[in-house]
Amino acid sequence: MAAIAAAIAVGLGALGAGIGNGLIVGRTVEGIARQPELRGTLQTTMFIGVALVEALPIIAVVVAFIVM
Amino acid sequence: MQQYQNMITRQRKWMFFLLALLVLGAGFTPYPRIFLGLILGAVISFFNLWLLQSKVNKLGHAVAKQKSAHSIGTFTRLAAAVLAVLIALRFEDYFHLVSVIIGLMTAYLVIMIDFIYFRFRD
Repeated sequence: MAAIAAAIAVGLGALGAGIGNGLIVGRTVEGIARQPELRGTLQTTMFIGVALVEALPIIAVVVAFIVM
Repeated sequence: MQQYQNMITRQRKWMFFLLALLVLGAGFTPYPRIFLGLILGAVISFFNLWLLQSKVNKLGHAVAKQKSAHSIGTFTRLAAAVLAVLIALRFEDYFHLVSVIIGLMTAYLVIMIDFIYFRFRD
């Protein structure tokens, strides 16, 4: 049971992070490719977005390891 | 580009400041186990922050130069967090587990406070 709980926690966390990261990185790449002079601003926004998206899967992985 | 470099420098400064405070706490307070856990979590969190900053910079550079980028290092960051928890579980006498987890979130606190503070100031 503990292994299933850990797998569900990590799996769902990684699924959400994957979708979120994909959206953020995709839009940023589009923006930088169109206007390379805005790279600094777009990179800053992407950095904050990716960091906030990844906080949850990191907690999920930690909780999964504690449960196991 | 200058905006990004300034943000990186500010965040690094705040992380070093917090780490120094935690070292003082581990040395001079009667709760060394809790502060050692916080230090372990904050060090791994600092590594995660540095990795994210450098990977985002590399990705931006690659896109601006029309080259291909490989990854943004999500799996490495997850593995680093697992490593911190494994160390805390293995050496339970030295590290408090809950404080390691709180320490892992230090970088996110720094990022959020930095973002909110400088967004409202500008």
